[in-house]
Amino acid sequence: MNLQSIYLFTSSSFLRKIFLGALFILICISAFTYRHTFALSDSTASVIHSQQVHLELEQMMSYLKDAETGQRGYILTQNPVYLQPYNGSREKVEVSFKLLKSLTLDNSKQQINLDSLHKIIDLRYSLFRKSLALSVEKPVNKVEFDNVLMNGKNAMDDIRYRVNQMIEFELVYLKEKKAKYESEISFTPVFTIVLFLFTVLIFAIAYMMINRDLKNVHKANKELTIINESIDHAEIIGNFCLTQWDLYNNKLIYSDNLYRMLGCEPQSFEPTVENYVAFVHPEDKHIVERGANDALNKNETYIRTYRIIRKDGEIRYFRSVGKLIEDAKNHKTHIGIINDVTEQHLSNLSLEEQNLELEQTVKELASFNYVASHDLQEPLRKIQLFISRIDENEKHSLSETGKEYFARINVSALRMRVLIDDLLQFSRTNKAEKNLERTDLNKIFHKAKNELAEAIRDKKGIIQTNRLPILNVIPYQIEQLFINLISNSLKYSRVGVEPFIKIECEKVRGKDYSPFKVNGEKKYFKFTFTDNGLGFEQKNAESIFILFHRLHHKSEYNGTGIGLSICKKIVENHGGFITAKGVPNEGSAFTFFLPA
Amino acid sequence: MQNEPIHVLLADDDEDDRLFFSDAIKELKMNTVVNVVKDGQDLIDYLLQTDVTLPHVLFLDLNMPIKTGLECLKEIKNIDRLKNIAIAIYSTSASEKDIEETFIRGANVYIKKPSSFTSLKKVLSEVITLNWQYHTSGLDRNNFLLSL
Repeated sequence: MNLQSIYLFTSSSFLRKIFLGALFILICISAFTYRHTFALSDSTASVIHSQQVHLELEQMMSYLKDAETGQRGYILTQNPVYLQPYNGSREKVEVSFKLLKSLTLDNSKQQINLDSLHKIIDLRYSLFRKSLALSVEKPVNKVEFDNVLMNGKNAMDDIRYRVNQMIEFELVYLKEKKAKYESEISFTPVFTIVLFLFTVLIFAIAYMMINRDLKNVHKANKELTIINESIDHAEIIGNFCLTQWDLYNNKLIYSDNLYRMLGCEPQSFEPTVENYVAFVHPEDKHIVERGANDALNKNETYIRTYRIIRKDGEIRYFRSVGKLIEDAKNHKTHIGIINDVTEQHLSNLSLEEQNLELEQTVKELASFNYVASHDLQEPLRKIQLFISRIDENEKHSLSETGKEYFARINVSALRMRVLIDDLLQFSRTNKAEKNLERTDLNKIFHKAKNELAEAIRDKKGIIQTNRLPILNVIPYQIEQLFINLISNSLKYSRVGVEPFIKIECEKVRGKDYSPFKVNGEKKYFKFTFTDNGLGFEQKNAESIFILFHRLHHKSEYNGTGIGLSICKKIVENHGGFITAKGVPNEGSAFTFFLPA
Repeated sequence: MQNEPIHVLLADDDEDDRLFFSDAIKELKMNTVVNVVKDGQDLIDYLLQTDVTLPHVLFLDLNMPIKTGLECLKEIKNIDRLKNIAIAIYSTSASEKDIEETFIRGANVYIKKPSSFTSLKKVLSEVITLNWQYHTSGLDRNNFLLSL
């Protein structure tokens, strides 16, 4: 999502550049067009200007000719009517001249031409006046008159020549301008077309890019829709919903599933705290209301559990978690997740109940322990005491059958004593008294050996051991473990074979014994008790650890089936594991692992 | 043999046990005077009599009605006149909890009631002839429980 938005951002800035470029080119085109239009009108103006100058010169020439014609008429006829065009011509020529002067203001050469033309025109008029004055004199000074007339003609020729020259000059000037304009204008179409094509290209690229962006936006939108839909489904499947509380705009958004969780149609009421609290169980309203306050004032994540009443009246347990987050502009938004935890909550409640029951059972068991240890032992002890009293003093008065029965009573009482003692031992071997102490197992071994000294001596047993480690254990339990394993070997020895028990110990890695339920990462001490006794069938290797499970008749071997169960319990209390191997009539080996 | 008889007192609510106790001591043929009381309250009342001869050794059962052996032990150790009596706990159970508590409260030895008459006699003779001064000075948690 993030990548996509970054991509879109760069793309739009590129587009902006393209549009700026296109705008620049358009301005360029406008500027060129403007300039060229301007040049065109400029050249038109100069054509008009040249023609105006040309016309005005012709006009002036015609005034002068009029004046000359009038003068000639008058001289011939002496009729003043002919003088009419001459009389007005001087002013008209001046007007024309002034106009020409202003028209050629930008052309110094024409100005100079005009100035010299003006002098000749002045001369011409003075010759006019002279000739007119001479024509009316009586008698006519023929020589002078002819002379004046000749001079007038020459001046006129001169004027005509100069005017023609000026017209010529103006034409040349026009031609130059035209050439210059054409040279300028000839470049314009190519340039305009190039610019136009370039602009078209840019717009084509821009169009393609916009198209591509639109596709990407479309794709992103599609992905967004998919994500939104999967969130929607996830909410329904996971029975949770999301809330967003934009504190800056004070706008709350509840996802559709919140409404469903409340048993309503999605977005069927306005998302406000008040509307939500209306669904909360009256006894829990304070939790949610206080929570809403806390959410705004505290920055840490909170968790609250409360009841709500659905639209259909069903009571559910909701758990809200949420946190206030702040964006770069310091706008705070409260993000929340609401979970329907009814099932978990109810199962927790039933677990708690079961826990209480369990505690009760444990207490009962403890009191049973006491009953067994005290109340059951007491009558038994007295039975045994009376047996020993009779055995000492009254036995002789019994018949042989009576003596036989009496001996059996004694054996049964003894067995019961052993059973009660073992059972007590088993029930006392529990985890509750888990006080691990750093203990030297060599000392424990010697204590166990001392405890069994009599039995070892009776059976002529030999126990061999290598050096044992110092471990964190429950000392009396490990002593019991040693006692039970050694006495087990002594008890199930072969007739006529002196028991030989070898105890070995080594430090091993758990992962080397993966078939056992040991933790592969840890190190263990592996203890092996090997004997040369009766052994057992390997198929019984697991069942011998089961409580009251025996492989022999009690008439043969006096066991209760509890001893090895206690061993298993002790090893497991220490986080270890015990296993057994047996070969009938060769011996057995008990291996247990204790965490190093 | 001493000229002065050894005074022995047993506090036990069980009639059979009182019988076994008296019989065993009788058979030991030691120079002893045996008195018995039936429960904890009886015991305290007996000891608080002004003209009574205080016993050298008190055998105290723990599980008794009205006043338990442990309560008696506490009371006796709080009374100056009585606190020097040697006390042997004489109980059916030998739970760690009982052993621990009575040791802390100042009992001198813990006897688990034996289940044969021969062992009973052996235990009683050993306890009665014990050199209490010596035993008490070397008393610790490990030799507190009397083993045979």
